[in-house]
Amino acid sequence: MSSTAYNAWRITSLSTLPAWVLALALTTLAAAVWLSFRGFRSEPAGLRRRALLGFRLLAALLILILLFEPGIELRSESRVRARIALLFDTSRSMKFPASPAGPSRAEEMIRWSQAHKRDLAQLASRFQVDVYGFDKELQPMDLARLSADPQGPSTDVLNALTGAAAAGTGGRPLAGLFVATDGADNAELSEGVSQTATAELHKLNAPVFALPIGAQALKDLAVEKIAVDDFAFVRNQVTVDVTVTARGFGSTDVPVVLKREGQVVAQKAVRVGGDQARYDVKLAFVPDRTGKFAFTVSVPVYEGEALAQNNQKSFVLKVIRDRVRVLLVVGRPSWDVRFLRQLLKRDPNVDLISFFILRTPGDDPHSSQDELSLIPFPTQEIFQEQLKTFDLVIFQNFNHRPYRMSQYLDGIAAYVRDGGAFAMIGGDQSFSAGDYASTPIEEILPVTLFPPGPTALDETPVQLHLTDSGKRHPVTELATNGPQNESAWSRLPKLPGVNTTGPLKGGSQVLLSSSEGRPVLVVGEAGRGRVLALLSDSSWYWSFVAAGQQQGPRAYETFWHSAIRWLVRDPALTPMRVASERPAFEPGSEPPALDVQVRGSDYGAAAGAQIAVVESSADDPVPRPAGAAVAGPDGNARIVLPPLPPGAYKATVTARRPDGSAVGEAEDAFVVAPSSRELIEATPRPDLLQAIASATRGRVVDPGDSLTNLPWRDPERVEVGQRTSVPLWDNWKVLVLLCLVVGMEWTLRRRWGYA
Amino acid sequence: MFSRRQFLGLPVLLAAGRALAFGDQARFTFAQVRHAGRWDPRPDGLSRLAWEIAKRTSIETSPVVKAIGFADPELFYYPLAVLSSDSGFPAPAENEIAELRRYLSYGGFLLVDDASGARGGPFEQSARLLVSRIVPGAQLARIPREHVVYKSFYLLDGPAGRVAATPDLEGLELGGRVAVLYSGNDLVGALARDALGAWEFEVSPGGELQREKCIRLGVNIAMYALCLDYKEDQVHIPFIMKRRRI
Repeated sequence: MSSTAYNAWRITSLSTLPAWVLALALTTLAAAVWLSFRGFRSEPAGLRRRALLGFRLLAALLILILLFEPGIELRSESRVRARIALLFDTSRSMKFPASPAGPSRAEEMIRWSQAHKRDLAQLASRFQVDVYGFDKELQPMDLARLSADPQGPSTDVLNALTGAAAAGTGGRPLAGLFVATDGADNAELSEGVSQTATAELHKLNAPVFALPIGAQALKDLAVEKIAVDDFAFVRNQVTVDVTVTARGFGSTDVPVVLKREGQVVAQKAVRVGGDQARYDVKLAFVPDRTGKFAFTVSVPVYEGEALAQNNQKSFVLKVIRDRVRVLLVVGRPSWDVRFLRQLLKRDPNVDLISFFILRTPGDDPHSSQDELSLIPFPTQEIFQEQLKTFDLVIFQNFNHRPYRMSQYLDGIAAYVRDGGAFAMIGGDQSFSAGDYASTPIEEILPVTLFPPGPTALDETPVQLHLTDSGKRHPVTELATNGPQNESAWSRLPKLPGVNTTGPLKGGSQVLLSSSEGRPVLVVGEAGRGRVLALLSDSSWYWSFVAAGQQQGPRAYETFWHSAIRWLVRDPALTPMRVASERPAFEPGSEPPALDVQVRGSDYGAAAGAQIAVVESSADDPVPRPAGAAVAGPDGNARIVLPPLPPGAYKATVTARRPDGSAVGEAEDAFVVAPSSRELIEATPRPDLLQAIASATRGRVVDPGDSLTNLPWRDPERVEVGQRTSVPLWDNWKVLVLLCLVVGMEWTLRRRWGYA
Repeated sequence: MFSRRQFLGLPVLLAAGRALAFGDQARFTFAQVRHAGRWDPRPDGLSRLAWEIAKRTSIETSPVVKAIGFADPELFYYPLAVLSSDSGFPAPAENEIAELRRYLSYGGFLLVDDASGARGGPFEQSARLLVSRIVPGAQLARIPREHVVYKSFYLLDGPAGRVAATPDLEGLELGGRVAVLYSGNDLVGALARDALGAWEFEVSPGGELQREKCIRLGVNIAMYALCLDYKEDQVHIPFIMKRRRI
């Protein structure tokens, strides 16, 4: 091969001896030179001393040449340009403003790329430039087609960097990576650069130069995360764990507010500022009623914030009842009281709190108070402080007058109208006989009353009669079959009498009456609450006396269980149900849908019922029509609501049967909110980019910096194509010269008296 | 919250008076079980106890005592029945036992009072045999002093009766409550009066204080029958514990 094929050379050893042999030879030669020198170092004549040392060194050199076989390696070398990777963020967070009221981050990035066209061209003359777009994935991209409307679902900066580093072709060295992004990572680096991430960045083996986009809109406060159970128990404390992020804030006390459909239920202040970005806040509250509610956690929007959309976050919480909490207030021990208490105490679904008046002020126990087990009647505690903790309040043959309770009756009525439940059971201290006429209690009762008098009680025995309403109502359903149900009621023992009342109120329903039409059981609604009036103090006859007549206590137990479930609005006993398809809907993608179930008066499917929906939001509680439908043969209907902007919503559904009669009302709550972290955790993160740059010995780039001036690493790489070796001094002349030198040294040593 | 003084000052408000309940059937009425032996040894005792209950508590009582047989269908209108005698009584028939079992199972309460006051006497033997037939194999068990029957109205430290033959009340529990309560000390006898209104029997060994204790135990038994374990509710416990320490 002609020498013109090689464009480089280097000195090399052609010896085939092992390295240790060469090392041993080198050591031996050094020792020989040293020993020789020791022999003549006392020689007074300098010329002789230098001559002997020179011959010995020359001999050693010639031996080394023989052993190492020096040669020239001729090489054919070529030079390869290194590559750099330019990465541009194409995730959806880039659609947010780069600065308050400024262009979007994507637009800002496009503007930067256009301003650096020449810069990029110069870079391309020195390096191979690979351009990528990245979000969740990394993909090659034409820089000219950078979109102002990016759609990437998430941001994974580390994945993009490692992918770009590994994607090089032709074994080109990586001179560095350039990444333009807002840094709003929601993958590996969302919590910052961890040790694992640092190790991954080191493996890049190239500097990362980062251009922060939107860094001028650094100030942002966000409700980043809410952690709460899917359901909670009424009257049990619920804790909502909120993570608030604050960037670009000085020391500031930020109120974090939890609202249930616009009403504040908890709030706490958190001091933000300094280096810390995330703050955990616990908001606790006690739900006071059951149902499904939309909650919103919010922080104020401060001036100059990058994003206002992430300052609140909504969620749906289903509040259920662990046990029905019943307050039973009794005017006097009686068999009616005893059997009801026994029933409620045995029911594992009931938490019974009872107060019996065991002694009236007129009774004389012939003892001191300390000899009695009686306790004061804690009226204020029960009827003022604890009232809202009860699902149901029962007055059983209880006259409020002796206990100065008039001041609390307004509160009890308000409690019922606000969704509570109330039952009054008859006796000589109930209804009109209990002096409830013209009191707030009369206002909520389904019957009217009159002042106490001899006509307040009717002691004519009562043969029960199931009314038309009673035949359809769940409270009086002892058997699913209509005739059997009527028969079951008619077989029960006669009651010894009833409390008499005035006319029924509008909307109330008589479920049981005497055969002559005297009301025995009346139900109604007061505001959002339900009320039951049992105008007898002998419902225990349906248990114990019926048992004596070989009927057993089933009727009594079924009646009271159904009554309590109806009073506290057990969902299984409501004629209407509505459930949103999901608790949360993605804004702009799919409209919310509701599934409605309507029952008829007989609690069967209400085919053809006209259903209407109104929706209201936490921000705007005014109901707006949102849809309508007709129930199918199975009484079901699906209603798709119009697209709604992000927020917490309540849908209220009403229905009318084909005959025009109202079925009832049902509610459900849902939220419309982005589920993607990309749109929630969208605050620019220049700090993250700084950390990445530091970990890779790169740096953060200003928008005005020229890319060509960045300290890219290893701009070129040398590759060797062909090579050949030519030996030096590999001939007899070297051997002859060695013999002459050794012989000359030996001769001189003999002549000058050295052995 | 009411203070004790306020609570005790309420009688003025009671002037509103009490209306009648729905006839006698709504009132607390004793039923006296009519068996084949001497079933009514203390004819006036239960009426007197009913009067004391009405006078001392908010319970409305009927002075009439209903005499009724084991198998009488009307028994179920009277959830508290008293079985008493001063001598043994013939064993009831099987159908009567079945009815009594049914009565007790569905919520009835049977007070068994040994009017003889003789421990291990014929009545006690008959009563224990009866209990073992109501629930086959069951036996009366001692009622502990912490039981709610000793604190259902008065705070009592033990049983009482015309005599002090037995140191404890005994009972049979059904469904978590005492359904049969046995007193071996002639409780009702201590309350009986003669036609002239005088106490019919001396009580021993405690005299009139013992008689008062008998009335209080009678009140507590009636209160327990009507309120069951009401005084075991959490709200009462601190008050009762405090007064027990006094």
